[in-house]
Amino acid sequence: MNTKELWKNCLMEIETGISKANFSTWFKNTSIIKEDTGIIYIGVPNEFVRDWLINKYHKLITKTIADAYENMRAVEYTIVKTENSKQEPTVTTEITIEKELPLKDLYINQEDNLNPRYQFNSFIVGTFNELAYAASQAIIESPGTKYNPFFIYGGTGLGKTHLIQAVGNSIKEKYPNKKVHYMTLEKFATDFVNSLQNNKANSFKEKYRKYDLLIIDDIQFIGKMEKIQEELFHTFNTFHENNKQIIFSSDKHPNYIPELADRLKSRFAAGMIVDISEPEYESRLAILKVKLRELNVDLAEELVEYVAGSVQGNIRELEGSLNLIVCQYRLKNKPLTLMEVKNLLKNSMRPKKNMAIKDVVKIVSEYYKLEEASVYEKTRKKEIVKARQVVMYLLREDFNVSYPLIGQKLGGKDHTTVIHSCLKIKEDLKNDSQLLQELEQIRIMFK
Amino acid sequence: MKIECSVEKIKNAISQVERITGKNLTLPVLSSILLIASGKSLKLRSTNLSLGIEVEVFAKIEEEGTLAISGSVLNAIFSNVSQNENVHLEDKDGNLLIKTKKSQIKLKSQPHDDFPTIPIVTGTTFEIEAKKLIDGIKSVYYSSSVSDIKPEISSVFMYTNEDNLVFVSTDSFRLAEKKVKVKGIEEIPGILIPFKNVAEILKVFGEFQGLIKVCFNKNQISFSSDNIYLTSRIIDGIFPDYRQIIPKNTSTDVVVLKQDLLNALKLSNIFSDKFNQVNLRIAPKDKTLELSSANNDVGENKTFLDAVINGENIELSFNYKYFLDCFQSITTDSVSIKLSGTGSPMVISPVSDVSFTYLIMPMNR
Repeated sequence: MNTKELWKNCLMEIETGISKANFSTWFKNTSIIKEDTGIIYIGVPNEFVRDWLINKYHKLITKTIADAYENMRAVEYTIVKTENSKQEPTVTTEITIEKELPLKDLYINQEDNLNPRYQFNSFIVGTFNELAYAASQAIIESPGTKYNPFFIYGGTGLGKTHLIQAVGNSIKEKYPNKKVHYMTLEKFATDFVNSLQNNKANSFKEKYRKYDLLIIDDIQFIGKMEKIQEELFHTFNTFHENNKQIIFSSDKHPNYIPELADRLKSRFAAGMIVDISEPEYESRLAILKVKLRELNVDLAEELVEYVAGSVQGNIRELEGSLNLIVCQYRLKNKPLTLMEVKNLLKNSMRPKKNMAIKDVVKIVSEYYKLEEASVYEKTRKKEIVKARQVVMYLLREDFNVSYPLIGQKLGGKDHTTVIHSCLKIKEDLKNDSQLLQELEQIRIMFK
Repeated sequence: MKIECSVEKIKNAISQVERITGKNLTLPVLSSILLIASGKSLKLRSTNLSLGIEVEVFAKIEEEGTLAISGSVLNAIFSNVSQNENVHLEDKDGNLLIKTKKSQIKLKSQPHDDFPTIPIVTGTTFEIEAKKLIDGIKSVYYSSSVSDIKPEISSVFMYTNEDNLVFVSTDSFRLAEKKVKVKGIEEIPGILIPFKNVAEILKVFGEFQGLIKVCFNKNQISFSSDNIYLTSRIIDGIFPDYRQIIPKNTSTDVVVLKQDLLNALKLSNIFSDKFNQVNLRIAPKDKTLELSSANNDVGENKTFLDAVINGENIELSFNYKYFLDCFQSITTDSVSIKLSGTGSPMVISPVSDVSFTYLIMPMNR
């Protein structure tokens, strides 16, 4: 006999006989624990409930059970632990200062390495990533044919991994027969090295080529790994020939991945290359709202707007700040004020870059292998002029220094000269990818 | 129902019973007080299904009867009636008529059929002076965890050890233990009374003088005096084995005046950060105990206290709030602080009083 089923049926019967308030007060958290030679043991949460069931509802319960189960002889009530207090008895508790928070373990599928948490329904589409989103939707429609390979690049924490994993999850759902596999380049590399060590290079090739969709994350590290590049090249060819989809992500455009073999570069470019940039205010707001819904927390509109406005840059930082606030909110168990939120975010905000003009000059001149002093000189040598213009451009764009001050510091130039230089670099950047790369590398040196 | 009784008595009873009426429950009748007039007394009963209380008031009963009346309304009415007179209560067509010399009130009643009984506990029974019981509970209950995640520590643990009745509570950051001497008590292996219920027990019996009869079994505990019967559910769980975390060896032993320390901590409060962090530095050579705290927005402070110190130099941080809390349980003039390294709890107790022990975990930052 299925006691669960029996009790469910009885409860349905009882529910119709008594008022809703009574039912939910007295019959919630009850169950049949066991049946022993015709005696039914009903588990109740506490003595108050037991007393009342015996006093008031015993006849009703007995009759209902007897109707449904003819072998019943008697009904007994026992007090059992309720669900939420059902915990392993802790024999020892280590006393620590760290507040324990209920963190749920993430479940990652062993077979395909995909994290089921990454889905499209939690993916926010804004102007910063709509192209990438549209392309990925096209791939889900017709994997392997439309955009193959799909190469996605953008700064850290902007949702590349989320997007490519969501593609993997969607394809898995839509085409249950297709084998999907997600991995980081690092995993690919270690696998390859291991297979070489064990003389099983062939089985390595076999292993990867059996998949229908291969997703490789963080491909930018491939730069110095020549042998891996070669292997990836072959794997790639096999996939492409068989019309199997392959997806890459990287933090740089393939052209700027250092020491990437030309044959791979051109192959990456053959499919679709899209970038994800930093989200604008509205998108940040939307992201925060979705996260809040996920976390099941209600935060005042004003606070959400403040966070969206003050935490700029990547989504991971945004999420981190939000977690901080939610954590605080749960600890205090009352709504936070704007002041408190400001205090909380004080530390997590990106520090404003502060650099002396001299240091910028130093870094740039080092980069172009020039004498530092020559930048300040009045000279029109081509290479020096370029370095000087770059300095001006960077000072203006990254550090917000005023035009006159830049001019004054760089050897008493007029502010119009500075404006011209900045415009010139801006113009050049549109066509000159070499210059763009140079600037990016210089910017890295600032950090 | 038709009765007459003194306002003072019924007023006290109502204010005690009203606290325990159920709030936010699905069953509306639980927010009311059940008035039962029978024999020579009026019984007032309320429950929130975790606690239940029944208070008996002597009254002149002309007609027996039962009525359920909203607790908050009843309480509000009686707190505005003058004390030194008698009140007549009468059931008229399901309404309660309250008559005093100068006022007449008619109250709607609720159907009392659905008002539950409160469990009468049978099991192990012992008697204890109310003062001792209240003292025991009061000394420790503020240390319980307020969250519901771990019910076994959001409660006060009560057990017997030789001639002592021991009360313990902890929220895993600090712990309070109070031993109360009780002669000839039944052995209690351990009872966990929910923290919220403990607070009500304190309010109901806080002023009471005399003996309280305690009765408990696996699921329920009751406290009764001549006219009050209070019963609470017991948490089914195992309290952590706290005795093993009380440090056995101390490396630094400090004795300091309680008032000095209290003042210093209150001062630190102004400067402490959002973690309530206060630094403690003990220098046996200088015979001083230094308390310091700093806050980026306010400033910083240092207080030096004269102290009797034995042992090693030590420096650690802790949450001053936890420290302040324990002073409500310390009645002596001086306090002993025992330390055994930065990683283990600091033990605070009143000097020459072994009945109270308080542990605070230092902050490991």
